[in-house]
Amino acid sequence: MQIQPVVFSAPKEGYAPTEWEDGAGHVCLGGAPGLDPQTARFAVADGATETYESRLWVCQLIASFLSSDHRGDGAWPDIERASMTAWFKSMQDTWRSAAAAPADYIEEMKIRQGTLATWVGGQIVGLDTPTPVWQAVALGDSVLFHVRGGRLVEHFPRFRSTDFDSAPDGVSTLPERLGRMSEQMRFKHGQLAAGDTIFAATDAFAKWMISCEEQGDETLWPLLCGPLPPSVFSQLVTEQRRAMAMKDDDVTLMRIRLLSEPANTVVVYL
Amino acid sequence: MYEQSISRRRPGCVVVLLDRSDSMNRSWGGSSETLAQGAARAINSILMELCLRAQKGQGVSYHYFDVGIFGYGARPVAGGEGVETAFGGTLANRALVPIPEIRDNPIAVREVASGDVAGATVRMPVWVEPIHGYRTPMCQAIAVAGQHVYEWAQMHPESFPPIVINITDGFVTDNPYDGASLDDWASRLTGIATQDGQALFFNIFVSPESAGNVVFPSAANGLPDPGPDLFRISSPLPEPMMRNAASVGISTVAGSRGFAFNVSDSTMLVKLLEIGTRVETRD
Repeated sequence: MQIQPVVFSAPKEGYAPTEWEDGAGHVCLGGAPGLDPQTARFAVADGATETYESRLWVCQLIASFLSSDHRGDGAWPDIERASMTAWFKSMQDTWRSAAAAPADYIEEMKIRQGTLATWVGGQIVGLDTPTPVWQAVALGDSVLFHVRGGRLVEHFPRFRSTDFDSAPDGVSTLPERLGRMSEQMRFKHGQLAAGDTIFAATDAFAKWMISCEEQGDETLWPLLCGPLPPSVFSQLVTEQRRAMAMKDDDVTLMRIRLLSEPANTVVVYL
Repeated sequence: MYEQSISRRRPGCVVVLLDRSDSMNRSWGGSSETLAQGAARAINSILMELCLRAQKGQGVSYHYFDVGIFGYGARPVAGGEGVETAFGGTLANRALVPIPEIRDNPIAVREVASGDVAGATVRMPVWVEPIHGYRTPMCQAIAVAGQHVYEWAQMHPESFPPIVINITDGFVTDNPYDGASLDDWASRLTGIATQDGQALFFNIFVSPESAGNVVFPSAANGLPDPGPDLFRISSPLPEPMMRNAASVGISTVAGSRGFAFNVSDSTMLVKLLEIGTRVETRD
């Protein structure tokens, strides 16, 4: 099977696209040229606004999770607790070793408070088989959705729209938080089929998606699974913010479609 | 109402009215610290907290808040009794100051004992010094600060409403002031609004006695003077601040007011200031 990933994003209203502070990425691995890949890996993260250099932390996490050589041995973290905990620790070590010296005592104190990002990431394995599987790990209020035939199969973590607040769990730069992060991680997997779609979203958009689902809005999945030019996505976000249905925050939606055969057309939105 | 988050486009406004009357010279809870010293330390602590919230990255401090500190009672700059801004040094005579400017202009930076590591020290900036003298012209303080708050609200109609916190240990001595009572001045202050709600007016009555704190009551029953007066002019706690209180283990009920009586240590004062000034930041 092939995958067709795309990332939609929008900064807070009135801000430039360069001020978007979430992060998202994907990569395909394995498979000979011209054949289906074996595995796809993906991640979405949201840096906590009030923490120090959260955008850099998000970039480091995403880049490492999608890189196969972050530990120097050609491996990447498995989607299970011990491996992810070890990866978090290596990320904290990297953060500390790469940190620039604080300019003054206020920055020093701020750095001591740590930096935080919510996280949902994972992989799709067995793309070269008829029964691929998604596996995901989440920490905080970024959410994965699995959609089939215009219906929601699963969302993970299984938040209700009322469960989102301003102090979510997340991946911290503070070594003393490692134990708690290890305990707070959640894991989930699910069976995939050709034509399925996986979404991963940061909190503002995820909450809106869950609200629509709770209200039985049958237009949601056809809209998000269908042709979605970036301009239409931006307009959707703007309208929902103005209707107070979506929080004015950085917005990220990653969509990964599973195709039974390679796409034979390319659509370019200008 | 009270749902707007703080951002660079929609900064917040925090104003502290600081009683600098003579009675603030009394010692606090049997300690060697006076009420004036404890209040100044608490205000410096909350200013530091606001600076830290605004410190976005290396060399980057966002303009999340405009902050004013107005002392009433002794006026160290102009002399005599009245109201004047309590910032010193470069910021003297400035009414509402953007937090990045406050960050860069303390009047001193002192080494203080670290709360985290025994024997260690941390550097703490000082913006407000303890001062005491004269009587308690609280009405005038509300009037002076209210003018600045009004102008700020006009310029920031989409922002979270201004938060005004009054720290006092005494009985108001200028009621009525300029033809209006304490209640009238408080009412004028809380009549100032943005699209997100009316200005919030919180009152904290500090006491040298360890007579038991009354925090965020929903009624003034049983409070000695001037408790009922301060309760009456205090705003109901909005939902975000009720959540702030719950997060530090302080319970509230429907109708709880932003009012604390007989606060007998500065640690509790800092906690109350944090509850009253923490609004979600978003950008």
